[in-house]
Amino acid sequence: MAKQSHPTMSRALQKRENITGYLFMLPSLIFFIGFVVIPMIICIITSLTDANMHDQGMFGNFVGLSNFTKLTKDVDFLEALKNTFIIVVVSVPTVCAFSLWVSSAIYKLSGPVLSAFRCIFYLPVVTGSVAVTVVWKWMYDNYTGIFNHVLKGAGLIEQNINWLGDSKYALWCIILILFTTSVGQPIVLYVSALGNVDQTLIEAAEVDGATSFQVFWKVKWAQMMPTTLYILVITTINSFQCFALIQLLTKGGAGTNTVMYDIYWTAFKLTEQAGHFGYANAMGVVLAIFIGLLSALQFKLAKEK
Amino acid sequence: MKKLLAMVLAMTMVMALVACGGNKDSTTPAQDTPPAENNAPEAPETPAAGGELTLWTYPIGNWGQEDKVKAITDAFTADTGISVKVEYLAYADGDDKVNSAITAKSAPDLIMEGPERLVTNWGDKGYLVDLSDMFDDTDKSEINAAAMTACTHSNGEVYEYPLVVTAHCMAVNLDAFKEAGADQYLDMATRTWSTDDFIKAVDALYAHFNSPVGAVFCKGQGGDQGTRALVNNMYGGTFTNAAHDQYTWDDPLNVKALEQLKSMPGITFDASLEGGDEIKVFYQGILKMAFCWNIAQQLNPNLADTGAGLTASGEEIAFMAFPSESGAPQLCGGIWGFGIFDNGDQARIDNAKTFIKWMCDSEHTVDAVKTANYFAARSSAEGTDLSAIWADNDIMNDYQVLMPYLGDYYQVTKGWAGARTEWWTMLQKVGEGANIAETVATYAGNANAAAG
Repeated sequence: MAKQSHPTMSRALQKRENITGYLFMLPSLIFFIGFVVIPMIICIITSLTDANMHDQGMFGNFVGLSNFTKLTKDVDFLEALKNTFIIVVVSVPTVCAFSLWVSSAIYKLSGPVLSAFRCIFYLPVVTGSVAVTVVWKWMYDNYTGIFNHVLKGAGLIEQNINWLGDSKYALWCIILILFTTSVGQPIVLYVSALGNVDQTLIEAAEVDGATSFQVFWKVKWAQMMPTTLYILVITTINSFQCFALIQLLTKGGAGTNTVMYDIYWTAFKLTEQAGHFGYANAMGVVLAIFIGLLSALQFKLAKEK
Repeated sequence: MKKLLAMVLAMTMVMALVACGGNKDSTTPAQDTPPAENNAPEAPETPAAGGELTLWTYPIGNWGQEDKVKAITDAFTADTGISVKVEYLAYADGDDKVNSAITAKSAPDLIMEGPERLVTNWGDKGYLVDLSDMFDDTDKSEINAAAMTACTHSNGEVYEYPLVVTAHCMAVNLDAFKEAGADQYLDMATRTWSTDDFIKAVDALYAHFNSPVGAVFCKGQGGDQGTRALVNNMYGGTFTNAAHDQYTWDDPLNVKALEQLKSMPGITFDASLEGGDEIKVFYQGILKMAFCWNIAQQLNPNLADTGAGLTASGEEIAFMAFPSESGAPQLCGGIWGFGIFDNGDQARIDNAKTFIKWMCDSEHTVDAVKTANYFAARSSAEGTDLSAIWADNDIMNDYQVLMPYLGDYYQVTKGWAGARTEWWTMLQKVGEGANIAETVATYAGNANAAAG
């Protein structure tokens, strides 16, 4: 980068600038290596061991791929994986589609109104997830929740629905909360992206007789692709890593167990079981592989587009 | 000039990071050093009679309340010169904190909880100090035999010094029972009822209130002693064998109890509630009975502050034993006391033993027991009679009628944490309508398999 902006810069000067740059990076790098890269390597290594809290040393005994083999037969893990995929498959497209729709509707509004909408949709994002979850928990409550109260009052149900205790509903209730807390950031990003679409291209397309849909699909959508890609990747990762909602609302019960929650439960609750750290880390590696594959696919599709 | 400034700034940030991250507490005992080397401190900072201790306590009665605990630990410090730093754990994440501390080799000196954690888990894994040398023949004769057995590992080592005991029971909304005409099924003198009477009472309540009156809560493990005791007592089933080496809850008698509960419209299997949640709904007057109850709840004036033994709207709460066919219920016991983590520092271990002796076997034991709001685990302590310390409290006195029903303390069975998970997961499946006999067999089998 230094070479491009200063082609005539002397080598010594370049070196000095590079060193300065790296020194600026160093604090972040220390954190990144210490809290991301090294734990990731440890996670991969221990997934091949029977590491647990009782034996001396971090790595336990090498057990090869047996943790991964066990995972393929672990009913709880497979159910958690299925639930995780349901969350991802449902929430990612709906979050993207809804935020795009809302953004398209509001991005041309006048300043204060637009800001008000942005605030409304962004509020669940900036509010603490615990506070949001507690409110939703009250609304879903089997005995005193507002949903049952309203539905019963309207004569739509006779008996209360156990929203968070019935596997027919619980996962969908979680997805709904995840949806409300996930749309804020994409809406803000899409509003910004729509505002930055080159107006001359839109006008040129319109002059050439393009319909509104064609303008959107051929001009706007194409220019928003980097934003869409970012939103897709972030929403996918967040959906895969859904944990707090499960922990606070159902503790993995009523058909809401996810891989993230299963990792936590195996690592920290089933401490009597041999090799629980290694086994939980194997789950983590599997989850990381799936996230990586899906993100790569999204990158590839976006590139082709 | 700019670059020089940038360099200086970067270096400052790095140095700040190093300074913030590298401050290793020199007073922390070197955990990896063999204990023998730690036995000879080079220069003790405090006099031999003083020192400090860390105590982590679960919310065992008022041992979870800072003002109450501070009063008694301050008295201990004044008496012995040993200061006590207390950390208060919650059941929701207390185990995570302790396990993380063990993994990080920063466990506290003392931990207050029951044998299911101290003996079966941390003691079994070798993290706790053997307290056998603290019990002489007099102590053994004074301490409740069942409590002493529960605190002793199968290898003969004692990992918990018991302080208090209680019996877990259930509770009924007496006013609601009277309103529905179901109070006729309660024997208020003995606080017992038969399984048939329980079924009739639930039916009467359901007919009157037209909504579920009791919840087999199964969101998680919190308060699961209640659901276990309900199922086991109805037809005399067992949870483990007598040797505490096998889970036997696939007992046909338990299957029969679950089938009976599932068939009752007045009972709901609720996967959105744990024990604590159930108590709240019971206090609100929505549920007419609570399966997660003990003397701590009976003494609790509840959040609405209507008074002990009353719901939020002032209805009378009566504690009851679980219904049984035989009329002789087997209640789950709660035994709580102290264990010492083996942090390799003999001086701290000695101080911890001094603490335990002061709390559990001295004239101060009365205060320690009263702080917990449970019953003393021993009849007397160094000549101080503990059998009548609650004579001035009617509720505590009444509650003692349940103590003879204390059953087997099976929570010390190997693989306990995993078995609890299997239990509430099984209840969820039963609640969803799965075949009960098959489900029970599967999950009991899982518990046994995990226990090895």
